[in-house]
Amino acid sequence: MNRKVSWKVCIKGVLAFAKPYRTKFFVAFFMVILSTAIYTMNPTVEGMVTTQLADDAAKIMEGIPGAHVDFQRVFLILTLLITCFIVRALALLISAFFLTNAIQHMMHDIRGALQKKIQKLPVRFFDDHAFGDVLSCVTNDVDTLSNALQQTLTKVITGVLTFILVIIMMFRINWIMTLLALVIIPLTALITKLFVGRSQKLFDRQQTTVGELNGTITELYGGFNEIIVYNKQEDTIQKFEDVNRRMRDSAFQAQFVSSLISPCVSFITYVTIGASAVVGCILVIQGTIKIGDLQAFIRYIWQINDPLSQVSQLSAQVQSAFAALGRIFTMLNEEEEDQGGEKHVAKDRMKGTVTFDHVQFGYGKDLLMKDVNMDVKSGQMVAIVGPTGAGKSTLMNLLLRFYDVKGGSIKVDGVDIRDMPREELRSMFSLVLQDTWLFKGSIYENIRYGRLDARKDEVIGAAKMANVHHFIRTLSHGYDSLINEEANNISQGEKQLLTIARAILKDPQILILDEATSSVDTRLEKMLQEAMQRVMEGRTSFVIAHRLSTIRDADLILVLKDGDIVEQGTHEELLEKKGMYEKLYHSQFAGQNFDEMD
Amino acid sequence: MRLIFKYLKRYKLLFCLNVLSVFGFALVELGIPTIVSDMIDKGVVNQDKTYLIRMGGLIVLISVIGVAGTILLGYCCARISTNVAHDIRQDVFRKVQTLSHSEMNEIGVASLITRTNNDAFQIMMFMNVILRTAVLTPVMISVSFILIMMTSLKLSMIILATVPLIIIGVVIVGKISSPISERQQGSLDSINRIFRENLTGIRVIRSFNNDSYESERFDNENVNFMVQSKRLFKLMSSTEPIFFLLMNVAVIGIYLVASFMIDDGALPVGKLVAFMDYMFHAMFSVLLFCLVFMMYPRANVSAKRIMRVLNTEPGIQNHPKEGAEEKEKSVVFDNVTFVYPDGEEAVLQNVSFEAHAGQTVAFIGSTGSGKSTLIKLIPRFYDVTSGKVLVNGVDVREMDMYALRDKIGYVSQKANLFSGTIADNIRFGKKEATDDEVIHAAKVAQAYDFIMEKPNGFEEKIAEGAGNVSGGQKQRLSIARALVRKPEIYIYDDSFSALDFRTDARLRGELKKEMTDEIVLIVAQRVSTIMDADQIIVLNEGKIAGKGTHRELLENCKIYYEIAASQLSEEELAYE
Repeated sequence: MNRKVSWKVCIKGVLAFAKPYRTKFFVAFFMVILSTAIYTMNPTVEGMVTTQLADDAAKIMEGIPGAHVDFQRVFLILTLLITCFIVRALALLISAFFLTNAIQHMMHDIRGALQKKIQKLPVRFFDDHAFGDVLSCVTNDVDTLSNALQQTLTKVITGVLTFILVIIMMFRINWIMTLLALVIIPLTALITKLFVGRSQKLFDRQQTTVGELNGTITELYGGFNEIIVYNKQEDTIQKFEDVNRRMRDSAFQAQFVSSLISPCVSFITYVTIGASAVVGCILVIQGTIKIGDLQAFIRYIWQINDPLSQVSQLSAQVQSAFAALGRIFTMLNEEEEDQGGEKHVAKDRMKGTVTFDHVQFGYGKDLLMKDVNMDVKSGQMVAIVGPTGAGKSTLMNLLLRFYDVKGGSIKVDGVDIRDMPREELRSMFSLVLQDTWLFKGSIYENIRYGRLDARKDEVIGAAKMANVHHFIRTLSHGYDSLINEEANNISQGEKQLLTIARAILKDPQILILDEATSSVDTRLEKMLQEAMQRVMEGRTSFVIAHRLSTIRDADLILVLKDGDIVEQGTHEELLEKKGMYEKLYHSQFAGQNFDEMD
Repeated sequence: MRLIFKYLKRYKLLFCLNVLSVFGFALVELGIPTIVSDMIDKGVVNQDKTYLIRMGGLIVLISVIGVAGTILLGYCCARISTNVAHDIRQDVFRKVQTLSHSEMNEIGVASLITRTNNDAFQIMMFMNVILRTAVLTPVMISVSFILIMMTSLKLSMIILATVPLIIIGVVIVGKISSPISERQQGSLDSINRIFRENLTGIRVIRSFNNDSYESERFDNENVNFMVQSKRLFKLMSSTEPIFFLLMNVAVIGIYLVASFMIDDGALPVGKLVAFMDYMFHAMFSVLLFCLVFMMYPRANVSAKRIMRVLNTEPGIQNHPKEGAEEKEKSVVFDNVTFVYPDGEEAVLQNVSFEAHAGQTVAFIGSTGSGKSTLIKLIPRFYDVTSGKVLVNGVDVREMDMYALRDKIGYVSQKANLFSGTIADNIRFGKKEATDDEVIHAAKVAQAYDFIMEKPNGFEEKIAEGAGNVSGGQKQRLSIARALVRKPEIYIYDDSFSALDFRTDARLRGELKKEMTDEIVLIVAQRVSTIMDADQIIVLNEGKIAGKGTHRELLENCKIYYEIAASQLSEEELAYE
């Protein structure tokens, strides 16, 4: 996420998500305020009891006849006190419930919005954004935000409120002592500033080291095979240990420095309490304040100390919450791909003709394709061949409008694909990629994914067509067998067959196989192609293949080099031409004239 | 918990210091109320100002001690918890290095990564809380109770009555929250998973127009997660007010009883003030203790996951047999049958063949025929279920595992490179390789040209995940890595697949020139890659379906003929 959004956008965005739950929030906040107000009143009320008792005790001590504790008054104050306690507990409970409901619903909405956003972002977006970053936005960032709102929000509100109310209450008791006690504030601010800046840097470093550690572990676990076979276990452990040790040290520093804040703030509080106690006692002796007030006053200093010593912790949480907010809304404000034009092609008029008309394209500034032209008729099988990086897959990405052309146009059934609604355009295609994508779920669900309303017999039919039915039947749970998260319980070849079955089920006008059978052995590949040809009768198909032997029967072979089509024609035509195709084709066999092939 | 104790034992001294420093904290937190109460009872009553000032000085003194204690506490906590996390990570990592493929697959690489990093981090956070709070609370509670009882035995009875209630409450909360927290964690994993699927499958999902289906799938889990979170957070946030209320009721009781006692003249008011302060601190520590319970379920899940790794027994162990004498170079499979540890059917059945010095043996067969599995048995990624694999006449299980692997140059299907320069990566095969050796290996592997095209040549850094080299380049670098090692046995596991035919052909030509008496084993999909092999072994459903040269097999092995026919033109088949 390189582009940062402003705070204004973030706050606005959060408020928009909070809006549906505003009543809940209002109730919760009101309750928080109520409970804080009561909390700050408690010491005063308790002080009243103490004063009353002290006065009565003094009278008893002095031996005034008939002196005794004024129970009626004490009971009265105690009733007030217990009412306060109960109301406060209730207020806290109510606010917790309302707040939790509101916040968790909000988080649900934000996660949902992010998921929907992902589907609307152009594919280009994912070229410059690592999956890990995007993923961490939905999980870690939303989680951070949720925790911050759930805990920090109330803490900040009560902290500030307590702070203000406590100071007011303190002033009411005695302003001289209050001024004395308020020395805490600038001192604490100073200490906090001193430490927070430093610890923030250390925490940042810790975070960076965590990332580094994660990277190292990922790499070393991923390279497990190599490490084992090259007997590199000891070296690897050394490499890991190096980062691990740095991780320990940076974590230690961050923790230790941040743990210093609390004792330093507390020290000031302690000393202030000591000073207040001395001054307070003297004032009591002078008769300026009552003993209960002194008790209350000291309790108030403890109460201020609480939010103050949490400042460091809270500020870290607030900072990370804001960082998370920034990332979330940067993501939500990313530009979406347009949904395409309004030109419809009637379902019965969809033929599957494809025209590339002087197409230019490049991922960056430089053009990869300078002038691509082709004309594919309905029902043709088109093979695309060429060395790695020649732009074979790019051609298909353009056809599906994962990227837009930079010049020229692509027409399907005579309509510029930019004028078609995206959904309609994509409904015409089935795409099978080399990187098989399956999700955690049963094999049945995975095939049915091609057409969600397919009947069971249609699903099985597609599996049979893809030559994978037999394999599925050998699994212990047949079509209900689960594909696990890593999808490593079935082989790559079997996965490719499943994705082909899925594509067949969709029954599209145009089928694209992008190295779709690279992990299937050639014999099976051949059988598959024959089956496909049956399926694809009257439909257009594009096949990208490494193995030239499997595409000999194509109606049209396009030979790509450095982004452009250098030759096109049928197998025989191209062989006769004795050009690049002929050389590529023959280089399958060892030792033959590959040296002259540039 | 056992895990934590195990590691805590290593830091006994620091831990003792940790406990000791807690007393410093308790001293000041509880000492100050005591002194203040004395000031009220003695100073105010006797109107003794010098006493007051002296006591004020005392407060400053114990504050210094207290703060020193707290800083020490912070130091110990940070030291112990970061050290323990470090040790756990180290042990897990070391353990993983000893595991074999079956254990790796069972737990999963992704999961191992989180176990090494995130789970250890969770434990660290938990340790931090424990060392601070869990040690502090008992000290604070017992010290304040002693003080409370010293102040007034009668009043302390009221508090004692609330303690069991709170303990029961804490236990109940812990019991209820633990399964919710586990469910929430599980649900978060699912959210993660679906979202990752959404990201990796972005093109497929779009081409099928299945956006709404995905949103629905996501939302199901999203709602589930919300429900669990709501439960958990509500439970957590309601404990505090309830506990506080309980304590507060006790406070009322104390005031009531106290007023009667004062009426009798049995209790000085200053004592009451101190009593209330102790009460306040005791309450606070109990609340902090609740935090431990709230963090426990999560830490416990992490601890279990770490223990699972630490307790895994490596399936393949190094038990070299003394006196096993190596004969001349060879790789022999003697009636080998192999079943994956969690599999039902045999992947390989009664496979036998021999490869001798200077020979190239190739393996071909359909997807799932077991050819990749077969060669994984040689470096002992797995051990045979029955039969024997012999290298130089010695059963691989009786060889020193490291010596065995030193003989092998293995190039896997999916080449992994490591962060570092290109030269570092090639030297991975042989640490002390000279520059000339590295360059030569690169040339043979057809990697030299593209390396020289990089801005920094051999010093070009390979990015993490090797994103700056293509699949074909990766394969060539990993071949160079094997070459520089000059092993006795080369194993190529479908390692030419990402190369275009031209590079493939040229590479094979160069490799052929390099080989003298080494044994080369090749798994391939392309017939053209293996046509020249001395022996080709055709595998079908785990059994050998044919053995011989290209020409022999074309004549008498139907499966081989079919494979060849699907790849070669008729003229080429006839030409042979």
